[in-house]
Amino acid sequence: MNEHRRQVLDMLARGKISAAAAERLIAALEKAPLATSTASAAGPAPKYLRVMVDAEDIHRGDSLTKVNIRVPLQLLRAGVRLSGLIPSEALEHVNAAFRERGISFDISQLKPENLEELIAQLNDLSVDIDHAKGQVRVKVFCE
Amino acid sequence: MIPLLAVIGVKGRWNFRLWLPLFLVWLLLLPFAPLLLPFLLIAALFIRADAWRGIGAVFSVLCATRGTQVEVATRGHSLLLHIF
Repeated sequence: MNEHRRQVLDMLARGKISAAAAERLIAALEKAPLATSTASAAGPAPKYLRVMVDAEDIHRGDSLTKVNIRVPLQLLRAGVRLSGLIPSEALEHVNAAFRERGISFDISQLKPENLEELIAQLNDLSVDIDHAKGQVRVKVFCE
Repeated sequence: MIPLLAVIGVKGRWNFRLWLPLFLVWLLLLPFAPLLLPFLLIAALFIRADAWRGIGAVFSVLCATRGTQVEVATRGHSLLLHIF
């Protein structure tokens, strides 16, 4: 019996939750490892973020500009660790600048553990922008 | 691991591909590290930051640059940067 299930049964025994609530919680706990195992079976964790831009001249039909950038995701992790060194006074200035631009983001909440969650979600990320008029194609994906 | 090699390539008016042995740069800079360290510690005291954490974070950023690739090509011109 794992720790979470024991806690649910303990709460039920103490009368803190109803039997129906306990059943729902246990069912949710049973689903959680299944979701984790399917996520790990999806493939190896992405190592790089790739950005590809391909702009073509619609009149001449040839390629004008090609951009191909590969950034290691490890660099994101290191960057977050570096942002942890920003003095609190400077963080307040950064947050104020964000608010001025209408972005409600607290940079002090940017923690390595939050980033890991974000990187895990990036595995499924793929952004394709296809602009018909100017023939611009942008692809952003993890690999 | 720190980057050991960088390749910079340019095509256009001048065509060249530069292989930069970064490991030699680190070797050359290594003797200067103990000389720079006191200045870094004093600077950290002034800005009230943890110097060792700072050095660690900068080092991890440096190490994380391995594998970076940037390639930009326009008609007749191109630039590439690979860090190994």
